[in-house]
Amino acid sequence: MRTGAIAVGVLLLVAACTVAFLVGGVHLSIADLVAGRGEEGQTARLLASLRAPRIGLAALVGGCLALAGAALQALLKNPLADPFLLGTSGGAAVGAAGAALLGLSPLLSPAAAFVGAAAASLGVALLARRGGRLDLQRLLLAGLIANAFFSALLLAAFSIASGEAARSMLFWMMGSLADATPRKVAALFPYALAGAAVLVAAAARLNLFSVGEENAAALGVDTERTKRIVFLASSLLTGVAVAFAGVIGFVGLLVPHAVRAAFGNDQRTLLPASFLVGATLVVAADAVARAAIAPVELPIGALTAALGAPVFAWLLLRTP
Amino acid sequence: MSAAAPNRLEARGLVADYGAAPVLRGLDAAIPAGAIAAVLGENGSGKSTLLKVFARVVAIGGGDVRLDGERLDALPRRQTAQRIAYVPQSVDLVFPIRTLDLVLQGRAPYARGFVAETADDRRRALEAMRACDVEALAQRDAASLSGGERRRVFLARALAQEAQVWLLDEPTSGLDPRHRLEFLETLWRIHGERGTTVVLVTHEVALAGDLATRVLLLKDGRTIAQGDRASVLTAENLERTFGAPFSGRGSRFALRSAVLPMGSLEP
Repeated sequence: MRTGAIAVGVLLLVAACTVAFLVGGVHLSIADLVAGRGEEGQTARLLASLRAPRIGLAALVGGCLALAGAALQALLKNPLADPFLLGTSGGAAVGAAGAALLGLSPLLSPAAAFVGAAAASLGVALLARRGGRLDLQRLLLAGLIANAFFSALLLAAFSIASGEAARSMLFWMMGSLADATPRKVAALFPYALAGAAVLVAAAARLNLFSVGEENAAALGVDTERTKRIVFLASSLLTGVAVAFAGVIGFVGLLVPHAVRAAFGNDQRTLLPASFLVGATLVVAADAVARAAIAPVELPIGALTAALGAPVFAWLLLRTP
Repeated sequence: MSAAAPNRLEARGLVADYGAAPVLRGLDAAIPAGAIAAVLGENGSGKSTLLKVFARVVAIGGGDVRLDGERLDALPRRQTAQRIAYVPQSVDLVFPIRTLDLVLQGRAPYARGFVAETADDRRRALEAMRACDVEALAQRDAASLSGGERRRVFLARALAQEAQVWLLDEPTSGLDPRHRLEFLETLWRIHGERGTTVVLVTHEVALAGDLATRVLLLKDGRTIAQGDRASVLTAENLERTFGAPFSGRGSRFALRSAVLPMGSLEP
């Protein structure tokens, strides 16, 4: 691990959190927050209590998505892998939306999203198999098919749902951090930690995978076991991120590329740094979404997609 | 224990498949310690699959494979990776990787979990690169290396892996005559110094005649002849293996020059 890369990631995240804390529809003054009396002080504290959990949620969601993307790219030896493009996020959204539609407790939403994400990953991987191995072209096509299918399911659910349920469908389709509460942040944290720990622990094996699956097998890795672990852990991270914030695309694609360009492809650096930079990106994007045309909020999923689509196009052109 | 040392690698009735169709259909092979064994056969005869089974890249579908008398699939994977190194025909590198880091991957079977390579790993990797004349490339991105450089880098990696057995898949294909020669000289020298057992798959019958102490002829996933090169590399055996004339009567391009006796190198 290169500590320099991790330090840069931490600094970026702290800077983004600070800016995101201060900007928005209303500017927050630190002086009012700390020493403010009367109405000004109250307003400042209210703003802080709304923004702090939102920033926390943004950071965790961004970190989860970027880490899942980085791990999938190494595992599949494919720079275009991303939980959004491979249909994993779509599966998670359908799982969470389905649970909401069935009237299940919101507490089950992460579990339902994880099941949806895992099923989507498995389905896409099966579709993309040819002659016992994952085929790059088929993988992207399978992801496309899965995304179209899941969008159709979400739209159908949206049209039959009413009131609160319809609003939550929309939330999963567009992605939003507006409903952040300290409880949600606390609920997401253990999942994020568990998934991240599993993936970072697999970093050395993922280094061998990023040269090729046969390479990893010949160097003593139980490849089937590693594939299962990494698929499950990245489905977990994607699932819980979607359950708490809806579909926020392209974070898992953009961030590992940026980190790789800056610090190289050693997964022992790339994975933790991607988590930090992913957190930074979503915190910053959310700040932009809140502040750009305040008081109207832009949907954050739209913002990351607008940023991510051109980069994806550029990567596609560069990939032989 | 038996009196004679067991073969370093041995397959009996080996069956393996790649997806659907069986590729190896009851193959027998015996490779003594310290041998250079050349595996020859038509395209699709199962040569590369045999190497991949030895490398534990392709699973054993039936039969028995032994390393120094022990069942290969009963050994821990890391342990076999410490004893057997696999050098693929080609690797397309999608992500950037420094050449030294690629060679350091050869130390992976000795590493524990997340820990970075030790100073000792780096020393061994650099030593291996020096032995294969690729030390100067250590800081280069491996994707920028030429075909010949890349072969020697992978050879250095096998050396850093400190394995007793090297499996080389078509090590000379696509190399121009000079790079081919350099690669073979390097391989020959290291084999001579360390007594490494080498199994190489090749389409070059003449290379098998020059280099190999032992030859295996494969057809349709079975071994049709194996033994020392003089007894195996006969016109009759080769014609049976390849369905092409080696005796000089069948075609003006007959491959008779590939048939022994020849051999410029004596092992």
